[in-house]
Amino acid sequence: MLHLIRTEWLKIKPYRAFWVMVGLAVAIIPAGNYIAAEITSQIVSKTKELIAVAPYDFPLIWQSIANVNSYMTALFAIPMIILVTNEFTYKTHRQNIIDGWERREFVMAKLFWWLALSVLAFLTTVITALVLGLAYGTHPLSFENFEYLFYYLLQVLLSLGIATLIAVLVRRSGLAIVLYLCYIMIVEQVLVLVLKRNFGEIGGLLPLQTGDELIPFPVIGKLLNNADHYDDGVYLLMLCLYIGLMIFLVFRRMLKTDY
Amino acid sequence: MPILSLQNISKRYGAIQALSGISFEVPKGAVFGILGPNGSGKTTLLGIVTDVLKADTGTFTLLDVPPTARQRQRIGTLLETPNFYHYLSAYQNLQVAASIKQQSGQDIPRVLDIAGLTARQHSRFKTYSLGMKQRLAIAAAMLGDPEVLILDEPTNGLDPAGIAEVRQLILQLAQTGKTIILASHLLDEVEKVCTHVAILQKGKLLLSGPVNQVLVREDFVELSCNDNTKLMSVISQHPAFDHIISSQEHLQVVFKQPVDPATLNAWCADQGLWLNHLYTRKQSLEKAFLQITNN
Repeated sequence: MLHLIRTEWLKIKPYRAFWVMVGLAVAIIPAGNYIAAEITSQIVSKTKELIAVAPYDFPLIWQSIANVNSYMTALFAIPMIILVTNEFTYKTHRQNIIDGWERREFVMAKLFWWLALSVLAFLTTVITALVLGLAYGTHPLSFENFEYLFYYLLQVLLSLGIATLIAVLVRRSGLAIVLYLCYIMIVEQVLVLVLKRNFGEIGGLLPLQTGDELIPFPVIGKLLNNADHYDDGVYLLMLCLYIGLMIFLVFRRMLKTDY
Repeated sequence: MPILSLQNISKRYGAIQALSGISFEVPKGAVFGILGPNGSGKTTLLGIVTDVLKADTGTFTLLDVPPTARQRQRIGTLLETPNFYHYLSAYQNLQVAASIKQQSGQDIPRVLDIAGLTARQHSRFKTYSLGMKQRLAIAAAMLGDPEVLILDEPTNGLDPAGIAEVRQLILQLAQTGKTIILASHLLDEVEKVCTHVAILQKGKLLLSGPVNQVLVREDFVELSCNDNTKLMSVISQHPAFDHIISSQEHLQVVFKQPVDPATLNAWCADQGLWLNHLYTRKQSLEKAFLQITNN
């Protein structure tokens, strides 16, 4: 595996456009949450008697930041799509095999980035939460509710898994990005609404929605929750199954198809 | 030990049968040409050998054992087009190739020098001309001085001097005992550098074996006299006569065995015909190839 990572590093280290995209993704997480923290702290200070909870204070901050960032997984998915589709554009996926990688090794090399970008999103979120919590909070540091950040990590893994699957299926960066954004922003949202209206809470079991169900925004999420909301374990299980399914489908596609 | 042994390889793309039951062996130390017109299945065949394509049926062995990625690391391959990361320099691209082949990269300066790219090694691949890209692909194939090279149309995009250099390089490599599998649609390329050849047409193997046995180019004699009609009937009585290829301007006659021009001239004189044109020639390579493919 180290040999795969070393080779991937040789490919990507001088790729400036990729690092710019990753840098922006890392910068947008604290910037977006800073704005959210500033706004919520003003709301809290102005409506002290009406809203007694501060979303950017410990321990709620873990849930708040996981919820806010779950809307921004595309920031890391787009560089992931570009990494994968570049191989098809340059036909280097063929050359990597010709030069002596197993097809399985090619997929594993790409899954290294899937994992690395997801962990980067997770760590950026942890650090942002610590800084904002200490800056805006009145409560001492607490890791209560930290499980929401693990839910967020799983949701990023799934989102990047969907992005990788679309990338290996369509092979073109522009089309893959458009399809991915369409899916996460429109297609799944519409399907969730239609299913929830007609068939009840089963709509909450669609891939990215499982993560959304696990990470509601503090207070507001509870107010909106349905009575027939499944147990969190159900959503967690489905989320893990979807991640496994995405990896399986990526492997299946890349092991079977002509390059 | 055959370097490559193909058994009944077939591949279909939808309605098109790209390869039909191809079987042949590439002996060790051969410069083995895979010859055929565009679309005959040469690249598809090499794609299957390098695992970028999956055969529908058939098996093959590489270096006398079932194929694995580790064996591909010991083979230098240029398949179809140069495939490199556009944003990386030539040197960085070769570092990636060396890393995949699990080599140290110490050989990079040598292959860059052979390819004549040392001066431009730090330029990005996207700034290269077509010929430079092809040279870089040849350099990548030679990384680690592999014992076996698979070169698919290696002179594509090169200028005449570049083509001559690459052919010279292939001959030099062959002299060192390396096995080279060379796919080409260029007849003279195959004739000039190959020891063995397999001829493909529309996915079918027409012939394979040593070049001098497969691409047999029969000698013929051009003859003329004042009365070529009479010459035609007289020459058909010659004991070694086989057949007439053409009777336009000069008679082009094929004999069953080589005939000495002086003896032939004397024989015609004995028949009362005084030749004003007598010339021994070899059939063109194109005609020999067309004969094979038409049959």
